[in-house]
Amino acid sequence: MAVAQAAGTLAASAPRPWWRGRQGAVLAVAVGIVIAFFGWKSQVPWPASLTWNSLSHDLDNFQAWLSNNRNVPHPSVFFRAFNGIATFLDDLVGWLTSFFFKLTWAGTTVLGTLIVLRFGGRRAALGVLTAFLLFATMGLWDPVVRTFALTFASVSLSLLIGQPLGILAGRSDRFQRLVTPVLDAMQIVPAFAYLMPIVILFSVGPGAAVATTLIYAIPPAIRITSLGIRGVPTNTVEAAEALGATRVQTLVKVQLPLARRMLLLSVNQTILFALSMVVIAGLIGGEGLGSVVTSGLYSDPAQALLAGAAIVVMAIALDRATEAMAIRTDPAQRHLTEGKRRTLRLYTAACAAAVGLAVGLGYAFGAGSVWSRWTASDWLLARIQRVLDYVQSPTTFIFHITSPVGNFLVQYGLSPLRSFFVETPWPAMAFGLGVIAFLLSGLRPAVTTLVMLAVIGLSNEWVNAMDTLSQVLVATVFTLLVGIPLGVWAAESTRARKTMRPVLDILQTLPQLVYIIPFIYLMPVSLVPGVLASVLYAAPVVIRLVEAGVREVSSHPVEAADSFGATRLQTLLKVKIPLARDAIMLGVNQGIIMVLAVVVIAGLVGSGALGYDVAQGLQQSLFGQGVLASVAILALGITLDRITQGRRRKRIELT
Amino acid sequence: MTAVADTSAALGHEIDRSGDPLIRVEGVWKIFGRHADRVMGTPDADLPRAELREKHGCVAAVRNVSFEVWPREVFVVMGLSGSGKSTLVRTLIRLIEPTAGRIEIAGKDVTAASQTELRDLRRHTSSMVFQHFGLLAHRRVVDNVAFGLEIQGVSKAERLERAGKILRLVGLEDSGNQFPDQLSGGMQQRVGLARAFAVDPAVMLYDEPFSALDPLIRRDMQDEVIRLQHDTGKTMVFITHDLPEALRLGDRIAIMRDGAIVQLGTPEELVGSPADEYVENFVRDIPRSHVLTLRWIMREARPGEADGPRLDVRTTVRNAIPVIVASERAICAVEGDVVVGVVDREAVLTAIAGES
Repeated sequence: MAVAQAAGTLAASAPRPWWRGRQGAVLAVAVGIVIAFFGWKSQVPWPASLTWNSLSHDLDNFQAWLSNNRNVPHPSVFFRAFNGIATFLDDLVGWLTSFFFKLTWAGTTVLGTLIVLRFGGRRAALGVLTAFLLFATMGLWDPVVRTFALTFASVSLSLLIGQPLGILAGRSDRFQRLVTPVLDAMQIVPAFAYLMPIVILFSVGPGAAVATTLIYAIPPAIRITSLGIRGVPTNTVEAAEALGATRVQTLVKVQLPLARRMLLLSVNQTILFALSMVVIAGLIGGEGLGSVVTSGLYSDPAQALLAGAAIVVMAIALDRATEAMAIRTDPAQRHLTEGKRRTLRLYTAACAAAVGLAVGLGYAFGAGSVWSRWTASDWLLARIQRVLDYVQSPTTFIFHITSPVGNFLVQYGLSPLRSFFVETPWPAMAFGLGVIAFLLSGLRPAVTTLVMLAVIGLSNEWVNAMDTLSQVLVATVFTLLVGIPLGVWAAESTRARKTMRPVLDILQTLPQLVYIIPFIYLMPVSLVPGVLASVLYAAPVVIRLVEAGVREVSSHPVEAADSFGATRLQTLLKVKIPLARDAIMLGVNQGIIMVLAVVVIAGLVGSGALGYDVAQGLQQSLFGQGVLASVAILALGITLDRITQGRRRKRIELT
Repeated sequence: MTAVADTSAALGHEIDRSGDPLIRVEGVWKIFGRHADRVMGTPDADLPRAELREKHGCVAAVRNVSFEVWPREVFVVMGLSGSGKSTLVRTLIRLIEPTAGRIEIAGKDVTAASQTELRDLRRHTSSMVFQHFGLLAHRRVVDNVAFGLEIQGVSKAERLERAGKILRLVGLEDSGNQFPDQLSGGMQQRVGLARAFAVDPAVMLYDEPFSALDPLIRRDMQDEVIRLQHDTGKTMVFITHDLPEALRLGDRIAIMRDGAIVQLGTPEELVGSPADEYVENFVRDIPRSHVLTLRWIMREARPGEADGPRLDVRTTVRNAIPVIVASERAICAVEGDVVVGVVDREAVLTAIAGES
């Protein structure tokens, strides 16, 4: 009797079928939007009465007013301060560049190699030396030095600002709560979106390039530093406090030394972030490899690719070198004795002497600031050009693969989706997206979504934004189709993980724009290069997050499933993937944000839409239009983030 | 007479109750949560944990705890995890701020102390040993031991010399140049002990120092603490969740449950007359003869009994068995030279029989 009753209540509380749950509701909203599309196609565009038409013009005037006031002989205090910052940044980069040039190529090479040899060991030093040889072979010594100076300046300033703030955030909960939403927001904004404001404030030049990089690289520096300080065992901090340490003593003697690994990781990550901005910085006056890439984009693609490769070499060399130095200088692992310390001091002195000697010899033999005696650059460029020609030639078999694939993508994916997003009546689209945000993520994200869409419409970018959105959607679908299965595979198989790791490492160090260049030639159909490049850019992160999520599923439920005799597939589908759902959703969220970043950059090379407006703004000084497009990119980024953020933030906060 | 000498050596230190207590804790509360002050002082503070959490969203970790610790005493606080014992020991030197109550250490009002006074107290009067050691992985063992002195601003030569001495005291004189991760868990905690001793504090606070160690090593470390206690005569507050450890080390033991002390007494008081079912459940498996002393089972001497074999009144029943077996007469329990009672075979047998 009791059993029968229990069975009855169980049956009554059986889960609802999926179409009555949240998924069903989302699907219903989507169907509603599609019906609106077919019913009132192109009939309800964003109304002119709801756009702020004069805004673009006003912004142009504002920019003109700024530059007029800035360039007068005696500018006001405010402008003087601003000019001061811009000049300081310009000078810093200039000074560093001329310092490396003064060392001569010989001195620079020996300095770089020996610093890494002293602190990072032989392997890392060999890597750095190889990088120098490659730069010389490529004939890119001059832009490499300029890029390094730019990166060095940006990284030092980022750390100078980011680490103290990170320490503060690590020690004060209140400050952490204050900065977290700001950092979150900064991470959503595609780098391309803040070029315009920076150019207006700093005008084009190395200073603007440094400023852009700072905005991009400071947030991770703050985040990782704070994480490091918070990761110091409470016990140890308590022990110091119990012994009567002051706040400063606790920080200097306990927290900083014990957070050392994370502090150095923040240096490493800041370098990689700064390097990935080098190409974009090239658009606004950052000299070096970045400007070689951007200027070669249309005129000399082989040169652009070569410079891109040099950036990758630099990124890998710096990454490995800083990692090796971080590990090799860790006192907790090295266990130095007094004797060893003395030997090391001698070693340091010897290295310094060797650098001095190299510089002296450089001058004695007239080495010059740049290596230019023998390079293989012509040979390399010819090879690259031949590959590009081959790929593009309609007579080769590659063309018979790439061309139909590209056309197929446009015809059945991008083009219909574009017309769907652009031509659907705007109220249906806006409120549909709002309701979907509500269903997936809750009330506040839904309100944010609506506000952001209103901002897009108000700034007269509705059509462009919907165009961009359609590209983002196609690219995201591909990213997930590639990323989730590969991520699960990497989590399940050690061999797969080991094979993928170096590939993912390299893909993640590539600057965003460098992804696009090969595809311009491989897929000479507009829109397609941007989409494919963004898949390549976002997939590694999705793979990593999914892999980590699946692998970190606790072993207990997996063991339990095994003990019931579940097959591998059953364990995967019924235990691991459901338990890793949050990580996978985070992957979707991150993936979509990264896709957006590349899709807008692809506006430079024919993807049109929002990115094109920014590119035009930069290249033809259409400031107002560029700023509005930037604002729309920002709004679109926030919209996409809020729709896909799910309810995970709440859940993560709880744990 | 020899038997008396033996036991008093094992019993070790003498508690000094002549002056004032070294630590005085009066009505200390710790309520975690944003509305702690709103709950404090209202009847709601006495609600059971779950209800308090439900109603105000805060957790009362320590409730109205009072006790005194005398110089040279080993005071043990025992309780299961979540009973508030670790919070309690942290409130003593305000690593965690108490919500209410008054704490006095060595005549200073800790609760009213300024940051400077508090720092001074932590530097010179108290020292703490932690469950997970809290050692600095980037420093040599000797630098870890000297850390407290470094914080005080003692010169390098002086603090290294002192650290070397302390390392000898805990038997680590050969490990000074090693790093913490090269030592075993037991040795690491010896470093933790040495670091605490190096500043020569009046009060030693132990927060479950041996819980993370293997049982055998734990026993060694307990012996070490007894020895150090004996040699240096420090006052100790010792937190543990292990009853045998508490009984072994403690002069007096406070048993905590849900933030409050349910019983405070000597080991034999706990074992001999548990205050409630909770304590009784705890002490049920402890062999009474190992804890109870002659004082607990003796009766008044009848005329003519005062010339039996003499044992100190603090001798445990277990240690008295060989003497009573060898003797025809009842044992005389003595305090100093005065006979305070006698123990016959029947009393011993009853005490042992009570163990089942």
